[in-house]
Amino acid sequence: MTDSEPTERKRFFKDELESSESQIPNPTSKLDNRNSFLFEDEPKTTDLGSSLFVEQETEDLNFENKLKELIPDVDTRTRNLLLEKFEHESDPVGKALEYYFDHKNSLIKEVKTVKENPNFIDLSDDSYGSMDSHSRSGSSHLNSDPPNSHEPYSKMSFQSLFSQNRERARKRKVNTINRRILKRSKPAFSWKRFIGSMQVTAMATRPTIRPLKYGSELKLHVSTSSKFSPYQMYNSNGKKQVSMAQLVKLRDLEQDREVGRMPEEIARLVYPLIDESGVAFEITLVYSGDKRLSIGDSFIVQLDCFLTSDLFGKNLKDSQEESLSSQKIQWDTSNNSIVETKVEILDKFKRMGLIALFNKLRIKEVKDEAETLENLNNDDPEILDLEDDDTFESIVSQRDEDNEDDDDKIEHSDSMNLNQLQNFYSMAQSSEALKNLPETTPSRDIMKLDLRKYQKQGLTWMLRREGEFKKAAESDEVVAAATMMNPLWKQFVWPKDMSWVSERDHASQEKDMSLFFYANLHTGEFSNEKPMLETSLKGGILSDEMGLGKTISTLSLILSSPCDSSFDQKELFTEDDTVLTQNFSEITQKPYASRTTLIVVPMSLLHQWHSQFEKACSNDDLHSEIYYGGNVSNLKTHLINGKKPPTVLITTYGIVQNEWTKILKTSVSELDLQSTTGLFSLSFYRIVLDEGHMIRNRQTITSKAIMQLTGKCKWVLTGTPIINRLDDMYSLVKFLNLEPWSQIGFWKQFISIPFENKNFKQAFDVVNSIMEPVFLRRTKHMKDANGKPLVDLPPKEVIVEKLKLSEKQDIVYKHLLNRAEDSVKLGLERGDLLKKYSTILVNILRLRQVCCDVSLIGSQDENDEDLSNNNAMLSNGSDVAALLKDSKSDNVEETFSEIELQEAIKIINERYDFNNDDISLECSICTTEPIPLDKILFTECEHPFCKECLLEYCEYQKIKNLDLKCPLCRHEISKNKLLTLQKKENGEYEPVHYNSDSRSSKIVALANHLQQLQDSSPGEQVVVFSQFSSYLDILEKALRDISPAKTTKIYKFDGRLSLKDRNSVLKEFQEKSPGIQKILLLSLKAGGVGLNLTCASYAFVMDPWWSPSMEDQAIDRIHRIGQENNVKVTRFIIENSIEEKMLRIQERKRTIGEAMDADEDERRKRRIEEIKMLFE
Amino acid sequence: MASLPKRIIKETERLVTDPVPGITAEPHDDNLRYFKVTIEGPAGSPYENGLFHLELYLPDDYPMEAPKVRFLTKIYHPNIDRLGRICLDILKTNWSPALQIRTVLLSVQALLASPNPNDPLANDVAEDWIKNETGAKAKAKEWTSLYAKKE
Repeated sequence: MTDSEPTERKRFFKDELESSESQIPNPTSKLDNRNSFLFEDEPKTTDLGSSLFVEQETEDLNFENKLKELIPDVDTRTRNLLLEKFEHESDPVGKALEYYFDHKNSLIKEVKTVKENPNFIDLSDDSYGSMDSHSRSGSSHLNSDPPNSHEPYSKMSFQSLFSQNRERARKRKVNTINRRILKRSKPAFSWKRFIGSMQVTAMATRPTIRPLKYGSELKLHVSTSSKFSPYQMYNSNGKKQVSMAQLVKLRDLEQDREVGRMPEEIARLVYPLIDESGVAFEITLVYSGDKRLSIGDSFIVQLDCFLTSDLFGKNLKDSQEESLSSQKIQWDTSNNSIVETKVEILDKFKRMGLIALFNKLRIKEVKDEAETLENLNNDDPEILDLEDDDTFESIVSQRDEDNEDDDDKIEHSDSMNLNQLQNFYSMAQSSEALKNLPETTPSRDIMKLDLRKYQKQGLTWMLRREGEFKKAAESDEVVAAATMMNPLWKQFVWPKDMSWVSERDHASQEKDMSLFFYANLHTGEFSNEKPMLETSLKGGILSDEMGLGKTISTLSLILSSPCDSSFDQKELFTEDDTVLTQNFSEITQKPYASRTTLIVVPMSLLHQWHSQFEKACSNDDLHSEIYYGGNVSNLKTHLINGKKPPTVLITTYGIVQNEWTKILKTSVSELDLQSTTGLFSLSFYRIVLDEGHMIRNRQTITSKAIMQLTGKCKWVLTGTPIINRLDDMYSLVKFLNLEPWSQIGFWKQFISIPFENKNFKQAFDVVNSIMEPVFLRRTKHMKDANGKPLVDLPPKEVIVEKLKLSEKQDIVYKHLLNRAEDSVKLGLERGDLLKKYSTILVNILRLRQVCCDVSLIGSQDENDEDLSNNNAMLSNGSDVAALLKDSKSDNVEETFSEIELQEAIKIINERYDFNNDDISLECSICTTEPIPLDKILFTECEHPFCKECLLEYCEYQKIKNLDLKCPLCRHEISKNKLLTLQKKENGEYEPVHYNSDSRSSKIVALANHLQQLQDSSPGEQVVVFSQFSSYLDILEKALRDISPAKTTKIYKFDGRLSLKDRNSVLKEFQEKSPGIQKILLLSLKAGGVGLNLTCASYAFVMDPWWSPSMEDQAIDRIHRIGQENNVKVTRFIIENSIEEKMLRIQERKRTIGEAMDADEDERRKRRIEEIKMLFE
Repeated sequence: MASLPKRIIKETERLVTDPVPGITAEPHDDNLRYFKVTIEGPAGSPYENGLFHLELYLPDDYPMEAPKVRFLTKIYHPNIDRLGRICLDILKTNWSPALQIRTVLLSVQALLASPNPNDPLANDVAEDWIKNETGAKAKAKEWTSLYAKKE
């Protein structure tokens, strides 16, 4: 057959044969063979009817026909043997042929003109007999291949058949080597596709007798003697230790001997990929100067690179998950260093090789598909010529730099990916899109409350996120979101086939081949299909700013879609129930409470949610229940088999954690969860985490427990998704199962690691990008489409009121300050400031406490974290007492002696009859008449005054350095010799010694404010914040002493309050009673979140917090939706004290931004700076 | 300006409803802490038949601080200087918040009745008063008819 062809072509023909053989040819390969000229020139039809052996199935028949056609003279017995042997191979005909030729004495003799393909090396000595023992043949795979596709192969086979015998004697020697090569040979792939070519100047390492022929096939070969594993080749820095050029040799296929080697940079490039079945190389000699080569001579080869079906066919998902899970384990055990296993290094090595190859071949990712398609025809890729192309030189040099540190490459590619990410997500949801979200108004039948405009928009968004598109307004946006490409993947365009083979064959590119391929260079995955982002996630993060009504929005969602309609309508797990089967593979293991939404809230909000639901819900069929763990004996039966399961089941983080701990203790394996009766025994239609930042630390039991809850839709509500560090977000992502980010590996790679490397922008950008589609945040300042602010809150006025320490406070403060300063100085000198951190913290705490009230010191306060660090410094309460005693005897006049006191009390009792209702004493200072008896103060000369007036007078005289005399009789008086009235058990008043020092300046100031407020606008509700709950105790007592009981009610709300009491306290406080001033003493830690206190419009912040956002949180308890009045907040700050400095640090924090704090070193530095600031 | 303390309102009301004989005090329309005061010269004193105009101002710290009082009418008195400033202990060191506008003005009236040249403010007048009490009183009388004539 070949005789009819021109010589030149004949040779190519051989080349073709050999090149494909060198790549492990596959007769079913569509690409190669279709492009082959042989295929076009001489199509052949298979004569099915000619087969004499039809006893097998059609496939077998095909195989036999094929075989018979290809090797007409083979006898039936041999054919059957081959059939049996290769029946189950992926490439039966090829294998069989190979085998056949390898083992059979050749039949055809022909002068050998071209070099031999090593794969076709025969073992000429093998007899038929040996073949019998080896070969049985068979086929079952041909049915998938068009018959034509085998044609070229048949031709090649004949060619080789002819050529084989002739050369076999000469080649016998090298057979062993070739077999070795064969052993390493790559598994068969079904197709390969060209990705690029380059011309490489190689260097001869062996002299050749004759000049190498133009177009001869060469093969890459790793010199086996010095084969290193990549693992060994890289030292710990990832730098190469060995010169690659020594390892990668070029082998002449014809003569099967080494001829030369690749330049180092190319060797580096290809070395890791030679063994990779997913990549194929073809090397053709282009120029060798038509003379024989001496060692060191250079010659030029063309290196064609292909990707093979192996790369695309790999079940990478598995390997990816595998590697991720192993990574995960490592990261779990150590947060800092990532230890890579040998396998992982190999993988990484290959990945980097691929990336390097891509870069080298200038394969660019497709950013705009349409544009690329347009350009495709004009775009003529060229074969890269290393010698001539200047631009390539620059690329090479750049490449070299990159090669210095392979991590650079990775980083480079990461950042590219980031840009892509951003573009990609930003189209999904811009703020413009937010503004234009359609509104969904729940009907009156289901929701009693009116939603604001933005809440209606939020409802649309939430319904969409749950996939309830029909209920929400339709929009194209939804479609766009559904077809988003997985951001980790890049799109590439297949380059025009410029390989030696195709050029030579002038084969035109197949039009029906896909134009693009996709690669995830981070995992090494390749695909012909566009990898879609899995959108199985239903739910998201609603992160509206505090006070925008996250609760109401969520309730509207729940009421709009109270149960899983897709579940209720369909039969259980029917075929078409794709949603369920896909997304619920794990969930279906548990019974599905399709009618119940589980809401997990902090304890303080339990009843608020409950009552809000009752308020909002207008459908009597829906109801909410609170789950305490004990109140429902079997949740499963209750929710699934119960007649009227609650629409909303509210529980707390504590209960979830509790149940989980119990399960852990009984060491029930995960599969046995079904046998439990609690929250973990079933999966919910929807899970809502209120104040979701509670789970931000994924190491906590609470967080772990929450992760185990299963549900179809998952929502996180939080006004502050990031409290301290970016990784706070991870737990939320994990809870939501936001693929692929919920894999810690991805998170680390794209966020944590760039963050640690201080690529803050990058990390933040990724977080933003990840979050945008699942994240809805509106702030109070946002404006709607009409430019109106979302929320029109009444103005808020925050006043910092600077106070001076009282005399007693001042003495203690100075003493403590000296001590603290000393220890800081000492620490700074020695450089071990942070070792003393806790000591310093305690010192600082002391100072802050003194600013509030001296008696705070030494009080045991379990709610105060700082204090619970019970260290030696704490036992200083007695110190302070001693100190006070000392200073008193020094500076302050003596107080009453016991006799004087009794005398004074006697006189007062004689002069005034307090138990006579008509008693009317006038304060000569403010002219109030009568002075309320609980506010009266007597001088030692028994003259009555208002407490406030007399104390103010004392203070004034002291400042002016004037003698302290009784305003009425000018008798010298002393601040320590005052008397007040105390109500006895029986309601009678009796004079007692008044200890002026017990009042700290803040309490006095607060009392004044409250008094003034009551005077100017009686019956206000006031919230007083402090972070020390023992300070709340002191405040409570002091205020009860000072304020008239008739017109003042004081409530206290802190962590020690039981759930029931919390509820009643809040309820009572919120009721307005005319004329009665209600004061709520609120501990930030207990009531900082979630509470709605809009009934009050006055707040006093007694002490500054370290974190300004905490203070804002507190203030937002009253400044939020529902507030109708101007809000006035007064913050008490002691002048020239640590509190003023704390204000400065707050400012600093505001500017620096706490999220930036992640770096430990940086944090440390900053802490030292802060400490210095405090003690400047 | 901060709202007027209750006490000032109360005092002002009382000055109007229950005036001290021979003394008037009216708050200024624009500033309720500023009072126009008149005091009649006490009978039997050189200032008899005279009507003396004064101004009284209640500082922010009142009643912790004494009110500021000054004669607007020229007067020949050892404890009152040419600018009308008054030397009176209760307006200085001996002030007590228990004192009021009313008591202050009574004290001023009393000072007119019994000058105290031993604790002078206007040194020349005091000297004159000690050396030649009759002459000084005559001069005071003359000044009264000259400057403090009743309408």
